[in-house]
Amino acid sequence: MMRHLQKYSPILPVLLAYGVLLGIGLAYPGKWQLIAQLAFYCALGQAFNLFMGMTGYVDFGYVAFLGVGTYGMAVSIYFLYDKGLGIGLIFIGLALAAVFSTGLSLAVGAVALRLRGAYFAIATIGVNEGFRYFVEGARIWNGADGMIFSRHLRKAVGRETAMTLSTQWADILVFGVAVLAAILTLVYMRNKVGYALTALREDEDAAKVMGINVTKFKIIAFITSAVLAGLLGASAWALKLTYVYPEDVFEIHYTVEAIIIVLLGGAGTLLGPIVGALIYGASKYFLAIVLPGFQLLIFAPIIIVIIVLFPEGTVGILKKKIRGTALEKFII
Amino acid sequence: MLKVEKLESGYGPMQILWGPDLEVKPGTITSLLGPNGAGKSTLLKTVLGSVPVMGGSVLFEGRDVTSLPTHKKVDLGITLVPEGKHLFKEMTVYENLIMGAYRKEARVHRDESLELIYSLFPILFERKDQKSGTMSGGQQQMVTIGRALMTKPKLIMMDEPSQGLAPKIVMEIFETIEKLKKEIGLTILLVEQNAAALDAADYVYIMHEGVIKAEGNPEEIKNSDEVREAYLGI
Repeated sequence: MMRHLQKYSPILPVLLAYGVLLGIGLAYPGKWQLIAQLAFYCALGQAFNLFMGMTGYVDFGYVAFLGVGTYGMAVSIYFLYDKGLGIGLIFIGLALAAVFSTGLSLAVGAVALRLRGAYFAIATIGVNEGFRYFVEGARIWNGADGMIFSRHLRKAVGRETAMTLSTQWADILVFGVAVLAAILTLVYMRNKVGYALTALREDEDAAKVMGINVTKFKIIAFITSAVLAGLLGASAWALKLTYVYPEDVFEIHYTVEAIIIVLLGGAGTLLGPIVGALIYGASKYFLAIVLPGFQLLIFAPIIIVIIVLFPEGTVGILKKKIRGTALEKFII
Repeated sequence: MLKVEKLESGYGPMQILWGPDLEVKPGTITSLLGPNGAGKSTLLKTVLGSVPVMGGSVLFEGRDVTSLPTHKKVDLGITLVPEGKHLFKEMTVYENLIMGAYRKEARVHRDESLELIYSLFPILFERKDQKSGTMSGGQQQMVTIGRALMTKPKLIMMDEPSQGLAPKIVMEIFETIEKLKKEIGLTILLVEQNAAALDAADYVYIMHEGVIKAEGNPEEIKNSDEVREAYLGI
């Protein structure tokens, strides 16, 4: 039993990191927004890494899953607010977010996962833009007018609760998604799924001739990663802002941020996305204070330098350094 | 054991295989020889299912497996040693071998398979913790063959195992292939450009432009002037 649990010990530094982050946020309410933003980046990186890091496929349409997740929560609150469900709306919203993102990932995966490498990346760029224009053009969920549901939320759960939901619970949920993503990543890594994914990331043809059903495992990773994104959209965007516009949520910028975070931290590692998110989020925040307006201009070369110097990411380097020491068991 | 009948396949609109017939008998080494672009690799890939079949059929142990997905065929006991050493380069030798025992039935026999492979290739035991990408070409080929053995196959198809190796290593690889037949009773379909594959074989097919041009015992093939000049260059 102990031996069995020991293989999951790398979750400890992850929980420690999130615990410290949450603790700082609670101790310094003035910094809560920064902490919430960092937690969002952590969750985004962790969820994205589960597919990109483990399979080596880069999904440029990833933010679409956050988008439909946001709509999942929005639809629940907007249409069901007068059914007397109270706080149950939130759970229905999260469930819908999961359902929507699963549906979209199945549709996208069935087509795009047949492609490899750069072809997959290019095919997925279209998904996000396409889905945004589909929502706007077909006037689904109010189309380009978006959905504003703060009033609905207040009516359903009361003013006080609605306030707490948006200002606190939305962020706590983001932490929850981040932890869930980390746990799932580790469980996959330590089981058959992880071995199959590692094999197909390194050499898909070789994986096939070993009897690995590569399509199945790619789809498993793709859906898991998409559902996590859906839940993240539902909490970090829908519940927090209580409105949604297609052009805000189907914004490729977030996919690019996810890629940067994963590469900075180390693709395919467990701790990498957290480290990447903290480096990225904190430097973005402080650069904006020190040199407002210039942060992106300065940030781009910094990222290029880091990625050229450390292609394996921060945690990739760290893993090499600690090989053979006691820390090896905890940092992967 | 394996029977290929009038197999047709190719890539998109480009047809490569034009209906070759081929049979691999249990416990033998069958060599498929031919020049570049003859369709030898395509034949192996079509048999295993990574290139779609356009016509004809593939029978394995009497069963029609033409449209089974690749991983199901591996379950039945067919495997491929792909061309150009498709190793997991970032993994150690040991990890590569373990990946071979991914299927359930293979996992049950994991330890005995490992023992067998280490006895066939002692160097792999010595280097088991080395990253496979850092080994020499010949050693990498041994890992690839070892990894294929870990799947507990009945039939191993090898796509040009001698490619890019020094002549001495090539001889070693062929010796190993003969050992696999004699000592473990494996059935082997060996695709080669190297005419040395003639000596190892029990039966030989010569392929050119997607069809079988000649077949027979190694002696018959060696003695046929036409075949030698046109396809083997010896």
